[in-house]
Amino acid sequence: MSDASAIDIPADLVAVAEEKDLPLDLVRRALALGFPPDAVKQNLSMPGVTAEAAEAFISEQEKIRAGGVITIPPELAEISRAAKYPDELIIRALKLGAPTAMLINQIKAGITPQQAEGFIAQQEALRGGEGGATQLDLSWMKVPTEWGVRVKPGPKGLTVGMINVGTYADIPDYWPYHTEMPRGAYPIPGVPDMGYSIFEKAELWSENAADLYEESIQRRWRPSSDIPWTTMEDLPDVIEKAVCQLCTHISERSLVAGDIVGRWLPEMSYGYHEVKLYLSSAEFDVARWFEVFRKRALSNGGGIGVQSPGYFHRAMIDGRAWTEVSAALHILASSQLLMLFQIGYYTSHNDAERTIFAYCIQDVARQRAYGSQHLRFFLTKKLDRRAEIQHVLNKYEVLLDYEWEKDVPLREALMILLGGGASADQMADGFSKLEYFRALWANDYIKQLAAAGLGDRRDKVHYTIKKYLPQPEAAVAAAA
Amino acid sequence: MTQEVTTKATFPSVEWFNAIKELINNDEAYKRHGTCDAAVGIKVPDLQKYYKLTFEAFELEEVKECDEAEAENTDFWLQQTYAKWKEMIENIRANGRADLHHTLNTLDIEDPDDLARSNDGYRRDLFYRFNQSFQHFFDASSQIETQFV
Repeated sequence: MSDASAIDIPADLVAVAEEKDLPLDLVRRALALGFPPDAVKQNLSMPGVTAEAAEAFISEQEKIRAGGVITIPPELAEISRAAKYPDELIIRALKLGAPTAMLINQIKAGITPQQAEGFIAQQEALRGGEGGATQLDLSWMKVPTEWGVRVKPGPKGLTVGMINVGTYADIPDYWPYHTEMPRGAYPIPGVPDMGYSIFEKAELWSENAADLYEESIQRRWRPSSDIPWTTMEDLPDVIEKAVCQLCTHISERSLVAGDIVGRWLPEMSYGYHEVKLYLSSAEFDVARWFEVFRKRALSNGGGIGVQSPGYFHRAMIDGRAWTEVSAALHILASSQLLMLFQIGYYTSHNDAERTIFAYCIQDVARQRAYGSQHLRFFLTKKLDRRAEIQHVLNKYEVLLDYEWEKDVPLREALMILLGGGASADQMADGFSKLEYFRALWANDYIKQLAAAGLGDRRDKVHYTIKKYLPQPEAAVAAAA
Repeated sequence: MTQEVTTKATFPSVEWFNAIKELINNDEAYKRHGTCDAAVGIKVPDLQKYYKLTFEAFELEEVKECDEAEAENTDFWLQQTYAKWKEMIENIRANGRADLHHTLNTLDIEDPDDLARSNDGYRRDLFYRFNQSFQHFFDASSQIETQFV
């Protein structure tokens, strides 16, 4: 047994002992018995602990460790035997230092002998078995990774981007590991392949991913309580139906967007965790959109409307490369979705709707930010694949237009909302305003493409988009 | 008995923006929107008055008057006529916050050339990404007594 007088007592434990007026020698003897300081502190802090009780307990433990006979106190024996606990199990618990009162309480609480056996065996293993001396390996402490890193928080706290320091800031162009090992960790042999398929930085990276993740977490909102639901009042039936149709459409495409990103996340290797983190938060965004628009549809006397045709969304699900899918989802589809959010905001009938659409506008802009900056990074690294991206966008722009033409319920709902009703005059007004929003969207989409490094696509976009773009002065003059 | 002290400031001026800066930098509700990092230009073209606001983390860090080129050398700038700025600020003052017709989002939608403008589509999107922080900023002007030139 170790020399108790040579044991240092942690300062917080000294404080507890002094508060309870317990001799420090008792504490040293408890530590010498091998009880962890936290356990000693916890036991001393319990109400009713006196120097006499502690002395009796520690003396008993010292006697046990010295090879003395362990006796089960009669009050404990009565209860444990009634509960069909073997005496041997109770003796093992006492040997571990379990107080009699605690054992009585645990048995009365219904802990079975089998459950107790598992816990006791675990504690014995932690204490190093019968001999009491734990055999530790500790070779893992010599791992050859960078050590001594001490990043300090900044004005925004401790962000994911800030901890990319030293070797941990090395984000390689190719990630060579096929397992779930985090970047910066030391690999061990023999771990099976996780089945990822994206190992090249160019195929998923965006320089803003870490910041977008933090932004997404910071700017999260709760549909249940951040929306002033009580501000909603009954709307004319035709208006409520139009609102609900818009809600149905957005709910549906939110679920699809979740499926699309969810299908690609397991393909992305662990070397680029910033992207995986951000896309995980984007998954949460779309789940929240589904939630909030379903709640809006079902909270003001309306209901769920008609399903969308789904041509465009199904094509995205079938996309064979992440960059292709991201360009379609995060640039093309998200830009159009922004237009829908703007229409919803512009025509909102109460503070609840205004708040919903205002938050959604923030969310979708983050998704565009990932999309445009990923595509820019990809095009910078893959000069030979520029034509491929143009081809992909050609395909998706056609599909999006086809979807728009086929989705009569959505277009009519938008016209009703913008026109304020379903009369002929109102629908004409709604059509005119919808064209205005379409023009805003087309011009905005072109700016997003330019930000992604595809400024030249202005002349290549589908004619249904191009018709909304301002013509160069020379072309206008020639036409005149 | 306490008497509410209302700050007076003239729009547009550095003092006006600084008065709002003082309010939002001490406003927990503003911080709850989340961090906001953006350099925002303010343009009142018919008065030839230009400003640059630098938002960082949970605060508006700096307000400065500048020339037009510097106001445009930002993530995006907000541009409308003096009359439109005045109408927006008066609406905020009257309602405690912008009504739906005078929010930044609505004004941006209604202006074919956009309220928020930029030379870069990606940086311009900060207007959307941090929109509710910017709206909170201008809505805070309801707490000051704005005088107009």
